[in-house]
Order: sequence, then C-alpha cells, then structure tokens
Amino acid sequence: MKEKTRESLYGYLFASPIILSILIFTIIPVFTALYYSFTNYSPLDARKYEFSFNPQDALSMHLGFFPDEQGLTVEGLAEWIDVELFMDLDVGVNLDEEQVALVKQHLDVNRLLQDFLDGKLATEMPLKEFMGTYLTQGSEKFQRYVPKWVWLDNFNKMLHDEYFWISLKNAFFFSIVVVPVQTLIAVLLAVVANTPIRGKGFFKAIFFLPSITSSAAISMIFMLIYTKPGILNRLLGIVGIVPVDWLENPATALPAVMIMNIWTTAGYFMVTFLAGLQSIPTSIYEAAEIDGAGFNRKFWQITLPLLRPQVLFVSIMGFIGCMQVFDQIYFLIKNIRNMTTSFYIYQNAFQYGRMGYASAIAMALFVVILAITMIQRKLVPDEAYF
Amino acid sequence: MTVKTKLIFAYIALGIYVLISLFPFVWSGLIAFTPVNFVDEQGNKQGVDIMEWPPEFKLFPLRFFGAPPTLESFAKVFEITPFARWILNTLLYAGLVTIGHLVLDSLGGYAFARLKFPLKNFWFLLFLSTLMIPGHVTLIPVYNLMVNMDFINTYWGLFLPKLTGVFGLFLMRQFFMGIPHSLEEAAKMDGASIPRRFFTIILPISRPAMAALGIYIFLGTWNDFLWPLLITSQKEMYTLTAGLNFFRSSYYTIWQYMMAASLMITLPMVAVFLGAQKYFVESGAASGVKG
Repeated sequence: MKEKTRESLYGYLFASPIILSILIFTIIPVFTALYYSFTNYSPLDARKYEFSFNPQDALSMHLGFFPDEQGLTVEGLAEWIDVELFMDLDVGVNLDEEQVALVKQHLDVNRLLQDFLDGKLATEMPLKEFMGTYLTQGSEKFQRYVPKWVWLDNFNKMLHDEYFWISLKNAFFFSIVVVPVQTLIAVLLAVVANTPIRGKGFFKAIFFLPSITSSAAISMIFMLIYTKPGILNRLLGIVGIVPVDWLENPATALPAVMIMNIWTTAGYFMVTFLAGLQSIPTSIYEAAEIDGAGFNRKFWQITLPLLRPQVLFVSIMGFIGCMQVFDQIYFLIKNIRNMTTSFYIYQNAFQYGRMGYASAIAMALFVVILAITMIQRKLVPDEAYF
Repeated sequence: MTVKTKLIFAYIALGIYVLISLFPFVWSGLIAFTPVNFVDEQGNKQGVDIMEWPPEFKLFPLRFFGAPPTLESFAKVFEITPFARWILNTLLYAGLVTIGHLVLDSLGGYAFARLKFPLKNFWFLLFLSTLMIPGHVTLIPVYNLMVNMDFINTYWGLFLPKLTGVFGLFLMRQFFMGIPHSLEEAAKMDGASIPRRFFTIILPISRPAMAALGIYIFLGTWNDFLWPLLITSQKEMYTLTAGLNFFRSSYYTIWQYMMAASLMITLPMVAVFLGAQKYFVESGAASGVKG
C-alpha cells in the first residue's frame, strides 16, 4: 500500500468516531430542527402509531355487544358501527381529516367484525399493525408519523406571541447587565491581584470555586439566601433596607438570578484576565508613572486597551452563555414573566408538547446569537479564539 | 499612595471578594450541620429555627442556631432518597463521557492535526461552524432520536450523545499541532506505523492536555442538569442534579436536608478542582468552561 493511501486510511480510522458522532448528534439535528420549525411536530402525535390498544374491548364497547352473545351476524353488526366515532372515542386516537376519510373508505368492516365474532381479534395491538391488517389500502399513512408542514405559521405565531418577546427581552436584559458587570469585576480583581502580593494561587483558587459548582446545587443555596426571612434580608436590614421576597417578587426575581450568575462567573473570568495582565510588561506602567499617570489613567489608557482581546473574548463567551441561561432560571424563576428564551423553548417542547414551535424559537435564538457573535467578531482578531 | 498602602488596599479588596466567594458555601454548610430538632439539657425536644435573628453561634460547647451540630441531615438524605444510586449514576455518566472524550477526541485530534485524508478541511470547517449553535437547537431532535431508540431512562440515552465534542477535538488538535514534528520523524524513519507513533510517542507526552480535557469534561458532566432532566424520569435513573430537582419538590421546606444534598453534590467537585488545580487555572481549557 502506498504511504499516502495508508495515511488517508488511518486518518479516517482515527477520525471516523468523532465525525460520525458529530454528524449524528449535532449536524443532522440542526437540519432536523430547521425542518421541525416549519411543521407542527407534536411528541404525542409522533407516538400515536406505536400506541397499543385492545381492539376486542374497543369494538365491544363501541357496538355494545359481547362477541359470544347469541344471534349476532356480521351484517347485523355492520349497521351499528360508526368508523369515525370508533377511532375517535373507543380506540382513542387523534386522526386528521385525510386519515379519517381513508379509514372510512377502506376499513375492511366485514373482516373486522368476522374476527370479532370468531374471537380472533388480538387483545393488544399497536395502531399501525391494526391499520396494516384491516385497511384494504392506504395503511402506509399510519406507519410513520409525518408532522404537518405549516410553512411559516410557527414564525408568524412567534411574532405575535407576547411570551416569546418577554422571554427574549429577559434574555437580553440578563446578558446586557451580567456581561459588563462580570467583566468589570473580573478585570478589577485581576488588576488588584496583579500587584506583588503573596498568596496569588490561594486567591485564584478561591475565586475560581463558584464557577465549578453545579448550577442546580448553587441555585438551591441561593434560594435559601434569598428567602424572605433569609440571611440576605437580615444583613440588608442592618443598613435599614426593608425585607424583600427576592425570588417571589417579579421585579426582583431576575436581578437576583443575575447577581447569582455574576457570582459564579466573575472570579472565573478574573483568571483569564490575570493571565493577560501578566503578559503586559511592567515597564509600560513605570513609564506612565514617570509621566505622572494615576491609577485611573493607567487603568483606562493602558490596562484596558492592552486587555482588549481578553475583554472581547470574555464578553462574547459571556454573551453566548447568558443568552442561553437555563438551569438557574429553571430552579429559581417562578413567574412566567421572568423566564428567558431557552426556558420558553424547553416549556414548549417538553411541557406543552409543541416541538415544532419550540424549534422555531430555537432557530430565532440561534439567529440572534449568530448576529451578535458576527458583530463582535468584526471587532476582535481571530487569534483570540484558540 | 505608597507601595505599602497599595498592598494593604489590595489585600482588603481581595479579602472582601474571598468572603463573597465563600459565604454561600459556608452558610449552607452551617445549615446542613444544624439538626432539624434536638433534645436540650432539660430533656425537652426542641425545633430549630434556622431563620432566627441574630443566629446563635457558640464555640464552647459548639452550637449552630442554638443546637449541637450533627451529621443527621446527611444521613437523612440517603434515607429518604436513593442518593447512593444517584451518586453511582452520576459517576457512570460523568466517567463514561470523560473516557469517551479522552479516547475519541484525542484520536480525532491527532488525525486532524497530523494526518492527511480526503475532505479533512471540509470536516474541519463544518465542525468549526457548529461551535456557535446553541444547545437548545439540537436538543429536541436528539431527544426524539433517543425516544425512537428506546433509550429513555437508560445509561445509553444519557451518555451516548455526549461522548465526543467539537471543543475537545479542537483542544487536542491544538495541543498535537504544538508537538514538534521531529519527535515523530525519527520513528517514521525506523518504519513505525501511524498507530505505533501515536500510542508510543504522542500519547505519553500528551498527559497534561488529556488531564485538562478530562477534568473539564468530568466536571461539566457531573454538573449537567438539562440532559439528565430530559432523559431520566424514573427515580432510580436520576443523576445527582436531576435528583436534587426531584428532591426539592418534596422537601424544599426542610432547608437542612436541601443544603446537605446540595453540598454533597458540590463538594466532590471542589475536591477534584483543588486536587487538579494546576491543570485548570493554567490550561487552555480555562478559556471556555461556561458562560
């Protein structure tokens, strides 16, 4: 084998697991989600053909007869059967108009009733198998769930959905406050830690701690701190602030979560900045001091401009993260008016069973994040990423 | 300002932020060790009010909120929930995902850093473009895939979609690209095959990068909440975070239990972090953990 072929072969051997995995779990799903966003995909409907029922009982219930009663004939029973009602009420499956028409036209009533009278009807059968057995034609319409293509209905609905806009506004509000505040705190801490102090490692470790904790556990801890008789209100009471029910009050709930978010990330970003600061030669500061520059001037005119790549990196990462904040909202936000977009996507998909609509919102969030990232990328040199 | 006053100012500022960083842990710890009720010196059973103000702390004898500290809330968590099972599930989930990343990301990273194969650039750019896709976009299709494969409430459903990732691939690729070619050239001259070069030359010197990636993935998976929330609906299959979510719906009024459970989820990762700090703070992994 030629060296080049062998290298290609090993290249694919080494890379194929990760290529396959990313194709299956990231790239194809992106296109699937795009497809969903133009349909009315509903997880309940998606399972309906797999759903098992008892045809014997359902038919007996519908007709009001037991198969072993005397004097029943197929012809006699056929007068009692109403296919549409039977599917809807006794089988209990939600079919669209086209499917109802199909069943009405092609259900082999005679065969069904004959099996019923002979006691040959199964006592448990998935719907798709039932249709395959008793429809004379068109049973392929009941084999695989195909969500209805609704064109731009989801996006249209989104534009008029008050809660979507509230959620997007909240996500923006969250990011626009959290990102600058955490960045500023992080830069200030880094500047302070960049002085010749002892125990730098200790400070770095402690400041890093909040960012490695589980957001679920940390949310519970902050829930305790934020309760009305809790420690935060007691401490604020010392300076005369009236107790607030931080998480129950719609005006303070989101800011309370924001403060917690800043607490978890500021120290972590400080470490990024400290690394950046340590690469700034001290001679620059010495020169500035000779020129009589004070702390303020040095901070704004030397430190911040030289930290620009890190500041932009941190604000982009922070912004992308904040726009998608989920765990903390899930645990701490009770009022629907305080939720963020990613939480609204979760609610629609997994609580309301509207996966098509949820996918449309996810697409919108994607576009918003993409647009913001593009704007920020224009401002930052590429090498700051990797 | 003299150098000395500057330093004093720095210590004060950093000290205040140390207090802010540690306070939630300390406070939840105090509550977790406080009993729900206790028998006082007169033999009367007393409830403990953890919201009392000012709180009564004493060193001799040790008293939290006027009561002797105990471990009973921690024991109670194991009693009223399958907490041990949740720990096992979380260890399996985080462990398998970490192993998956270490093996597959490093294999892939090596291929993308050092080997030439057709369509390499195409795949690379395709992967690069996925970095900006929010997790919520792929969540629904991947969840449906798991449902169709009958993977709900199974370990397969938990870890299979998480086994590799573009971030880990890029991290390893970046690291391998930094290794001088000359290291491999000699072995190549001696006729060593590609796998042999990878396993005997590249892997042994990649330990720091692997450690950083492994710790970062283990931590992220241990703390992961949304995916276990979706994939598990049976109590026995919960991970710690999903279990905490279930636990709070029934016991949220008993703060002692809640804090004991929360701390038991948090502290193992604090230990991991403190043990492996050098990989963390100094590695490239530190530049993209969470937002």
